[in-house]
Amino acid sequence: MIDLVQSLIDGLGRGSIYALLALGIAVIFGVMHMVNFAHGELITVSAYVAFAVGVTAGWGWWAAVPLVFCAAVGTSVAIEFIAFRWVRGSSDFTMLLTSFAVHFLVQAIFVMTMGASVRSFPRPEWADRVWSVGDLNIQVIDVAVIGATAATLAVTVYLLQRTMFGISLRAAAEDFDAARLMGVRSNKVIRRAFILAGALAGIAAIFFLMRTGQARPTTGLSPLLKGILAAIIGGLGNMRGAVYGGLLLGVSEVLLRSWLPEDLVGITDGVVFALIALFFIFRPQGLVYVRSAERV
Amino acid sequence: MQALLSSRVGSQLAGSGVLFAVLVLGGLAYASGGAPARDILVTQMLINAIMVIGLQIYIGNTGVLSFGHMGFAAISGYAFALLATTVERKARIVPDVPLGLDSVSLNPLAAAATAVVVTVVVGLVVGLGLARSGAKSGAVAATVITLALLFMVHEVGGAYADLTGGRNGISFSVGRGLDSRLWIYVALIAAIVVARLFKSSRIGRLAQAAREDDLAARAMGISPARGQMVALVLSVAVVSVAASLRVFQLGTVAPSTFFFDYTLLTLVMLIVGGRNSIAGSVLGVALMTVVDETTRHLADVEIDGGPAEALDIVLRPGLTDIVLGGSMLGFMIFRARGLIEDWEIDHWLRRRFGRAEAVPEPLRAAPTPEEAQLSVVDITVDFGGFRALEKAGLEASNLEVVGLIGPNGAGKTTLLNVVTGLVEATGGSATLTEQSAGGPEACPIAGAQPFEVARAGLARTFQNLRLFPALTVRENVNIAALVASRHRPGGDRPSVEQLLVHAGLWEMRDRRARELDYGNARRLELVRAAALSPVYILLDEPTSGMSNVESVDMIDEVRALAAAVGAGVVVIDHDLAFITGVCDRIYCLDQGRVIAAGTPEEIHADPQVQAAYLGAAAAGPAG
Repeated sequence: MIDLVQSLIDGLGRGSIYALLALGIAVIFGVMHMVNFAHGELITVSAYVAFAVGVTAGWGWWAAVPLVFCAAVGTSVAIEFIAFRWVRGSSDFTMLLTSFAVHFLVQAIFVMTMGASVRSFPRPEWADRVWSVGDLNIQVIDVAVIGATAATLAVTVYLLQRTMFGISLRAAAEDFDAARLMGVRSNKVIRRAFILAGALAGIAAIFFLMRTGQARPTTGLSPLLKGILAAIIGGLGNMRGAVYGGLLLGVSEVLLRSWLPEDLVGITDGVVFALIALFFIFRPQGLVYVRSAERV
Repeated sequence: MQALLSSRVGSQLAGSGVLFAVLVLGGLAYASGGAPARDILVTQMLINAIMVIGLQIYIGNTGVLSFGHMGFAAISGYAFALLATTVERKARIVPDVPLGLDSVSLNPLAAAATAVVVTVVVGLVVGLGLARSGAKSGAVAATVITLALLFMVHEVGGAYADLTGGRNGISFSVGRGLDSRLWIYVALIAAIVVARLFKSSRIGRLAQAAREDDLAARAMGISPARGQMVALVLSVAVVSVAASLRVFQLGTVAPSTFFFDYTLLTLVMLIVGGRNSIAGSVLGVALMTVVDETTRHLADVEIDGGPAEALDIVLRPGLTDIVLGGSMLGFMIFRARGLIEDWEIDHWLRRRFGRAEAVPEPLRAAPTPEEAQLSVVDITVDFGGFRALEKAGLEASNLEVVGLIGPNGAGKTTLLNVVTGLVEATGGSATLTEQSAGGPEACPIAGAQPFEVARAGLARTFQNLRLFPALTVRENVNIAALVASRHRPGGDRPSVEQLLVHAGLWEMRDRRARELDYGNARRLELVRAAALSPVYILLDEPTSGMSNVESVDMIDEVRALAAAVGAGVVVIDHDLAFITGVCDRIYCLDQGRVIAAGTPEEIHADPQVQAAYLGAAAAGPAG
């Protein structure tokens, strides 16, 4: 029982980051119908900003927090402006490959300018601290990330439910043409969707980087994959589903790690990918699926 | 010679030969007299060409973006390396290898063949999963499954060191293994021929139709899963051969051999020329090899002129990826279909050397067909809490034209969707009864899959026009005829060419469907439905978006076409002039119920119909 609670807390700590990324991917899928393979690059850029702040400038980690956040938002908007706006409304194939190309371009730019090696930067000293409550060992960073995610989600829900922006975003996700006829401006709603997705990724990046303390060109790859998988587990484009998907992915990773036999622990991720592939075979529409009549 | 080039397969084989010769001779010309590095470059280019053609077979024909093919390549590469490495070497680098592999050492050919078998088996399993997901929710889920496969293989490759040698992988003691390009040539020409023949094969063409419009393909009697499966198996086999060759040539396989970098390279090669073309794939390989080689020279020049030796290491990998990523981005934005889209060398060969085509005989009316009856009874449909249809139904014989009218939202299209299997009914039945030699034969169609309904003889068109946009006008009709030739046996039916002449589309037969103007596109959809040799043609608003003059013309066209193929017609429309002109009997729907049925005159006189259309409150039942 204690083990289970322990795993749950660890898993939610991991899963929160996936959930934030997945939510951003779902928001963008909603307005553009594109799976954004460049979403992980927001974290890569943030990582190098954190490196610049922490090592090059020599400031403390608190200075990195707002700058990392701004870097993620700025990159998100910039990528939309440079690449994605030109392929709006294209086929799934074109949009998938466009975002895939952006993913590689950003990575290659960092390889060229910063080199392929790992750059480490200082992390806050409390990030490694552990609280012991009875038999539970709770990592402080897990508590911080779960709390911050909950707060972020609360703000996001408020934005989506109560503001004009949120309503137009949801309308656009439901039926873009109808939304446009109702006066939603597509440029504006798409740009704001990228700002929102960037902000969510920014929060995720802050805690992800506090945990790892490393920057390299491929930093964003692993969180990107988990984010995409979580978004798709949740039923692509479904925002609530994306959050559930992220949390579920995090918890199942931790549980698998404790259940798998010794010699398979090394390939936990491989097992997770296999399970996800199986999941799609039996439920290709994802966890949360709103049935809508096919338009013919 | 002319006979060879006039025949379809002959010209395709000749075209494949030309393509192979151009690539190989170009490579040899560049390599001859140059540094050994050029030799290696050319070898790699030829292997990449096999790999990219392997990708083309799946991605090109199905339109599903697969990242998983590098996963298949990795499986094949490891299988090849494990089977081909000597026993002594294996004892050193993978001493605890399972499955008794430690005592196996095959010659390279046998190892490659076994690797193909292993990989194809894995491909079959993955393909079953893809078929399940792809058929239901489109290409995105399929892409993610393939991505998961790629990462799974990569993880296992890196972590399961007993089998794979971990991060360092498995390397051959002999160093670079390929000393002759013979097997590369054999594999390359085989890959080109297989890909080219598959593209024009029945299954390949049906898969392309599903790629263009999944829903329309299913309504034309195509089951997309089958084509995807065959394409996957063929493409995995070709990819697997290329992977074994690559591993043999590199002399090593590691998790990074077949991962994102190689995925990027091969995908760029595939899309630059045109993913729907084999010639395009080869063109892309050649172009990107040239570009890659040029950037390498640029980097060298900069190093020669610059001070730091270290610049080399920094510059090279990054620069290549920027060029690749940039090309991919540029092509997706400016020319997503690639340089030559779906053009092949044999198209040119046939036009240049083949015989001219004669205009076909005009179409004659078909003899009166055996009578058939479509009975749709008590159909009820709920969308969430909204009842779209309430015990609606209709009866239609194949000797008449039956109309379905009603205000917007009355449930007309929903009824058609139920009959064609696109929407599931909560209750009710639909039956198609045909007279055959042994008396009437009833075939239940409610609850069947769309492609089963189409094969049973119900062809439909769509309100918002669903052609196969990238295929030619003739190919659009051909697809339906292909389905008909397999699933609608019997009778002498009009040829595709006759139908095209009949609809006035003969002159534009080689244009792509997306280039047609609206009226011709509508006509094409109608002819395509007729080419399915159906018992009934179901038309969903054939005149929507047409002018009055055009829709009056449409009356004759619908009637003439139905007579020519001996089919009954069920038609939905808003245009009362059109409906009255074309129909023998009319059903009127309002709020999900049939409120009237009869001849056009009776319907015009019916007070309930007038109420539904003009909005008088009292007449209709409350909904």
